[in-house]
Amino acid sequence: MTVVLIPGLLCDAYVWQPVLARIGAAKVADLTTQRSITEMAQSCLDATPGPLQVVGHSMGARVAMEMARLAPDRVRRLALLDTGIHPLRPGEAEKRAEIVNFANEHGMTALAQRWLPGMVHRQTPELMADLTQMVERMTPAIHARQIEALIGRPVAAEYLPQITCPVLLVVGEQDQWSPVSQHRDMLDLLPNARLEIIPGAGHFAPVEAPDQLADLLADFLTLAPEVPETPLYRRDLADQGYALNKMANSLGRPDNRAAFKADEAAYLDRFDLSAEQKQAVLDRDWARMVAMGGNLFYILKISAVDPVPITAIGAAQAGMEHLEFLQKRLGKQING
Amino acid sequence: MARLIGGLGTSHVPSIGVALDRGLRDTPDWKPFFDGYIPAQAWVAEAKPDIAIVIFNDHGNAFFLDQVPTLALGVADRYRPIDEGWGPRAIPDFVGAADLAWHLADQMVERHFDPMICREIEVDHGLQVPMELVFGRPEQAWPVKVVPIFVNTIQYPIPTPERLWQLGAVLRDAIASWPGDERVIILGTGGLSHQLQGSRAGFINQQADRDWIAQIGPNPDRYRRMSRQDYIETFGSEGAELIMWLAMRGAMDAEVRTVMTHYFAPASMTGAGMVLLENLGA
Repeated sequence: MTVVLIPGLLCDAYVWQPVLARIGAAKVADLTTQRSITEMAQSCLDATPGPLQVVGHSMGARVAMEMARLAPDRVRRLALLDTGIHPLRPGEAEKRAEIVNFANEHGMTALAQRWLPGMVHRQTPELMADLTQMVERMTPAIHARQIEALIGRPVAAEYLPQITCPVLLVVGEQDQWSPVSQHRDMLDLLPNARLEIIPGAGHFAPVEAPDQLADLLADFLTLAPEVPETPLYRRDLADQGYALNKMANSLGRPDNRAAFKADEAAYLDRFDLSAEQKQAVLDRDWARMVAMGGNLFYILKISAVDPVPITAIGAAQAGMEHLEFLQKRLGKQING
Repeated sequence: MARLIGGLGTSHVPSIGVALDRGLRDTPDWKPFFDGYIPAQAWVAEAKPDIAIVIFNDHGNAFFLDQVPTLALGVADRYRPIDEGWGPRAIPDFVGAADLAWHLADQMVERHFDPMICREIEVDHGLQVPMELVFGRPEQAWPVKVVPIFVNTIQYPIPTPERLWQLGAVLRDAIASWPGDERVIILGTGGLSHQLQGSRAGFINQQADRDWIAQIGPNPDRYRRMSRQDYIETFGSEGAELIMWLAMRGAMDAEVRTVMTHYFAPASMTGAGMVLLENLGA
């Protein structure tokens, strides 16, 4: 089931890198063009069909909640990070208007210097530099639109009790902007939620405590099977390896085998392989072929042309000598 | 009504066929593996089934990645053994039990299983090897007709274990409702633990294999409840083929007798073996 990751104010895919690395394929939403939370939510729904698992950070979590309101049948799981449901507070609109003007006058670097320090608890020079660069990738106009969306935000507290899908709430314990108490309020309203508090992290928990957050999300989201050191043949590999597997599959026919044997390079040119894939075939580099989307059941037909034991192909992938592979991996008794 | 005389789970490793082709049957690497099937062959010869329903996965031989049916059913009169790249194999064609196959098609769709219906298709080692292991290699003709059922276990998403169990339940009822008097054996094939791809290649879990063989008869529920992730972790990425044994087990009675078992590892890169089950009322 597709996972959609929604960044917060002035954020982009950078904040989701650790999560992306852990859970594999996911879509990162773009909130740079819309002027309201509802419009943002609708564009996320339009961008990705089918049932969704939605993860939102800060303003992105408000968008995620709005998606659940708009499409309760499609949003199957929600993870809401460092966020809140409170409506506009007295004086908030004026404060936000001032900061929009500040960004317009002084630019994004100045805005980053003013805005970021209060948001981050675990401040390291590297993290602050990365976050500053992220803010610099935005523009005062994007900032103004997103602030406009936040000022006009829907009253989520009214519909939270109707969100019945499983919800994971996560907050950095030292989040000063969206404190733990706001998440407890949400927990009280949501019928099917749990709250996780990450110690030692502030509002930017996704990058301040990347491992803990990725662990929590990997555990919460319903993911396709994922086993270490095990390339399962799903869409990414299927896309990458299609031409390679098609070439290998063609060797099931005797006439094609003969043509391949006669001139391997010319035969490979008949197919749409990348240069690296061609080289891997010429080199009989089984591990590289698999890494580039080759599926064993197809590339075995390459091994049938000039026979190589499948255990040697296994050993090459395991990075072991053949004999060592037979003994250690397969538990084969070798005499003499 | 047709009668289900037994359920048999077995590996279908391609090297098994190659070993037979090359006369390696009695070499030290292979003899203990093949000898373990002799009692099952004797049991089957005695039981005289007329039709074998064989649940297996094609390995990129009949289906390429351009069209991947999650579930396909053969309704042909004849199935030729496919050339998998090593050249044609000297085994007879398989004669299809087309009447029963069309009945299965009706019953499956009625019960919300919607297979691709194949009337001209070749069969790879996924069907060939189990047939050779169970019936030996005949000179002229196989002693049974076959109904092949192809399950996608290569490209994700593959079906869930529970789904294949349910398929078994449908097959069970379909066999019982078939007006013919044929004796039917059902073969669930694939496994046992093995992994061919990635740096985890060569993964074999002998203990899990032995547990599976001992428990698939008396305690199948634990295997029904496992996720695909669990199968891959426990049995390796290609070991997840074992979900096809669940269709065989799901076609049997709740209470079965484990008639015989056999296990050998490694056969090539695979934990290999079989289990033969009989309904207690049989």
